[in-house]
Amino acid sequence: MIFRFVVNYLGFLKSIPFFGLIYDSLIKIWLCISNPQMLSWFDEIEEEVLNWDGTSISLHRFGGTQFNYQRKELGHLHSNGILDIRFSVQIKKALIADGIAREHHMFAKSGWVSLYIKNQTDVENALSLLSLAYSRRQKLQIISIDK
Amino acid sequence: MNPSNKKILGFIIPNLIILSIIGNNKMLNPSSGGVLVFSEFVILPMLMGIMSAWFWKDYKLTNKTLIWNSILNGFIAILLSYFFLGEGTICLIIVSPLIFAFVVTGAFIGKVMFKRRDQKMNISFVSLLLFIFIADSVSDHHYENMVSDEIVIKATPDKIWKNVVAFEKIKQPNQYWLFKLGMPSPMQTTVTANKLGAGRKCIFSNGYTFDEKIVAFEVNKNLTFDIVNQPQDPEIMGHIDIDKGQFILKDNGDGTTTLIGNSWYKLHVFPIWYYDIWAESITRNVHLRVMDHIKLLSEK
Repeated sequence: MIFRFVVNYLGFLKSIPFFGLIYDSLIKIWLCISNPQMLSWFDEIEEEVLNWDGTSISLHRFGGTQFNYQRKELGHLHSNGILDIRFSVQIKKALIADGIAREHHMFAKSGWVSLYIKNQTDVENALSLLSLAYSRRQKLQIISIDK
Repeated sequence: MNPSNKKILGFIIPNLIILSIIGNNKMLNPSSGGVLVFSEFVILPMLMGIMSAWFWKDYKLTNKTLIWNSILNGFIAILLSYFFLGEGTICLIIVSPLIFAFVVTGAFIGKVMFKRRDQKMNISFVSLLLFIFIADSVSDHHYENMVSDEIVIKATPDKIWKNVVAFEKIKQPNQYWLFKLGMPSPMQTTVTANKLGAGRKCIFSNGYTFDEKIVAFEVNKNLTFDIVNQPQDPEIMGHIDIDKGQFILKDNGDGTTTLIGNSWYKLHVFPIWYYDIWAESITRNVHLRVMDHIKLLSEK
């Protein structure tokens, strides 16, 4: 709820350097006290994605961990447990129809989807979605090299 | 090097470096007059987190461990400030959210920086932070503010006036959480004479006294006083200067009076967006404790 309020009404603050990162750190500190299990799930996702060839992590400019393939974003995980991944609009529709992901918490009209991580099953779904984004990115890269 | 030694160095070295930077900054820049700039609470904790992350880069620290280690690092920094910089306990409670937030942020920045192993980028980023710190340290900092509060008292101005000029000891228990934690709260006010230019003393719960001089004395209307000497309490010393106080009485014509309390202060700690929230809150609660007491005495 607080995250939604900040995103909807205090969005202008994201133009302040480091604001997103600091806000995310505060959420992390809070999670450490209130729900440390969530941080373990984040570790699990991070560790698995970093095992895939060509992946790396960086800090997302609005806070959270960004997963990259060949330095291009696959998706990002905010510390409140929202994983955002960008697909094509067709794939997005299919994922939402299957109940795997939801509309993006901000950009409903785009190809972005969101997944709220609340339990171990969500961690597995998150990894499936990231794996799908990873495969797509790999294919796109192969096509661009062939051309 | 023994791996556990490197882990411990991640606590010791960053704290020692930051403490020496703050110490050197004070010595090399005496003209700052004890002003604590925003970089000391924002950039330096972030650098501390980055330095720690460098020492811990070879360990696969979980998010949880990294956060707890950073909180411990922040706690060590706060303890060092208590012992070596002479900061007061309440000040350190106030500053702690900033320190923890920025040390944790720095540790996560460091974690991704050292995973990338892009030396040029890392050196540029740390140099940029140091440049901001130096530029901020040598810049002029000046901030003044005024806090105003008002209450309605069921009494006429002539009944209230004598309680505004001076009042006996406040016996009500403190309601404000910082006063309950030990921050000195106003207790009593004495005056040398009921006239312009007279001396006034505002005595706080720990015995510290603000010496004041009455500069406006309009009976039943306006009492304004300059603070001519404030106590050398580590909680406020060098951080805030209270310049002036004022009580305005407005007759509402229905047997009630609106009492307005104003205070003017200069802040010497930055960033303002953080510290002024605290300064306003504390000033407001000083006002309300005094004004509620005046109300109680006047409505008897």
